[in-house]
Amino acid sequence: MGTDANDLKFEIVELDFYYGPSKALSDISIEIREREITALIGPSGCGKSTFLRCLNRMNDTIPHTRLEGKVLLDGEDIYQSDLDPVDLRQRIGMVFQKPNPFPQTVFDNVAYGPRILGMIQHRVDLEEIVENSLIQAALWDEVKDKLNQNALGLSLGEQQRLCIARVLAVQPEVILMDEPTSALDPIDTLQIEDLMSELKNEYTIVVVTHNMQQAARVSDKTGLFWLGELVEFDETSLIFTRPNDPQTEAYVTGRVG
Amino acid sequence: MSSSLRATFDKEYAAIIEDILKLGSLIDQAIAQALDSLQRRDQTLAQQIIDEDEEINLLRFKIEEACLTLIATQQPAARDLRGVVASMNIVVDMERMGDHAAGIAKTVIRMGDEPLLKPLIDIPRMAQTAREMLRMSLDAFIERDAEAAKAVVPIDDEMDHLYRAIFDELVEIMSHKPEGVERATYLLWCAHNLERIGDRVTNIAERVIFMTTGDMQELNV
Repeated sequence: MGTDANDLKFEIVELDFYYGPSKALSDISIEIREREITALIGPSGCGKSTFLRCLNRMNDTIPHTRLEGKVLLDGEDIYQSDLDPVDLRQRIGMVFQKPNPFPQTVFDNVAYGPRILGMIQHRVDLEEIVENSLIQAALWDEVKDKLNQNALGLSLGEQQRLCIARVLAVQPEVILMDEPTSALDPIDTLQIEDLMSELKNEYTIVVVTHNMQQAARVSDKTGLFWLGELVEFDETSLIFTRPNDPQTEAYVTGRVG
Repeated sequence: MSSSLRATFDKEYAAIIEDILKLGSLIDQAIAQALDSLQRRDQTLAQQIIDEDEEINLLRFKIEEACLTLIATQQPAARDLRGVVASMNIVVDMERMGDHAAGIAKTVIRMGDEPLLKPLIDIPRMAQTAREMLRMSLDAFIERDAEAAKAVVPIDDEMDHLYRAIFDELVEIMSHKPEGVERATYLLWCAHNLERIGDRVTNIAERVIFMTTGDMQELNV
């Protein structure tokens, strides 16, 4: 379990976010620490995915959106600096709800990022990156003999781990996960959760989940979003045993939401 | 990836087991020291046992807290759930054993420097038996061995016999020697505390059986 001794990775200060005239996030301030898993929970439409997408400027691609406040990554405001969003998204990888491998070979899926980012000079280097990424994603043993097969032939759980390997291949610092297991069965889900616990030794992970039991199992810190506001943010063990806010109590005990 | 898909649960539960063993070791020491303080009439040691009971109490709360968090965060089921719930129950009985050891220590302090009414023969046997029972029950807990847990029952019967013998002997002395009533009562309190420790061990054995088999049964009948 992480502690406050871990260095700060993200500091979000008084963040507001708008879709057109509609305010989706209001006055969010939160600290996300290195090598911890931070889980964001809350009912549908509460703003947790919108918040997640603020962390790597994914919302920039949506027209008529506006952000106020600060998102500091290692102390640098990612919205104010001249940081290239493409570079930013290399540092902050993302895994989505539904596994979305490219209709290419297993190898090419993982090699895609390093190739377009020009990270490799030689084929040998690329093979090493692909193998290491698949090992880290706990997928190597299952796919090492079918690297040239189409990734769409893998099971859903394998596809999702392949997507994680694809993120790892570009050597990110942070991994954002948006409902990474909602399309998976319970065993595949536990495999991903186990993998997350391994990955947090090296990466900072922020995960949005509808599944509060998953947040409880896997995260160090949990934040509850409600109608665009951050109701409570604390150690996961406290959120699920003695939350401070009555709204959190109601949500984690299944009384609302 | 780890071999178990519940690596986090396994790791945190192992830490709870380790703390339960540490608690067992503190209690074993408290019982041994309580007898020692009685035999040597060592009031300093007796006070030390009373003071150190706080450590036992705090460790019990720490374990209960860890169990609560484990249930809330890891959602154990079946034998995992029974193991965590059994752990929560077991530490309550263990903490009370610490109180019984402290109860003997308090009696030693009340006895002051008055000579013992009679030489200590059965009380040291009871203390030794209590420690042996505690060790057996915790071994059964670690090994998840219901049969080994049941093996404490005949030993608790021996404890009850020893207590009965001490009780009868002391009542006999009291009836003939009214001036010894107070000192006899002190010894009776000590024996009673040890007898209660035996009962608490039987409770632990019941929880081990529940944890292992899912059956709830009363052993102390």
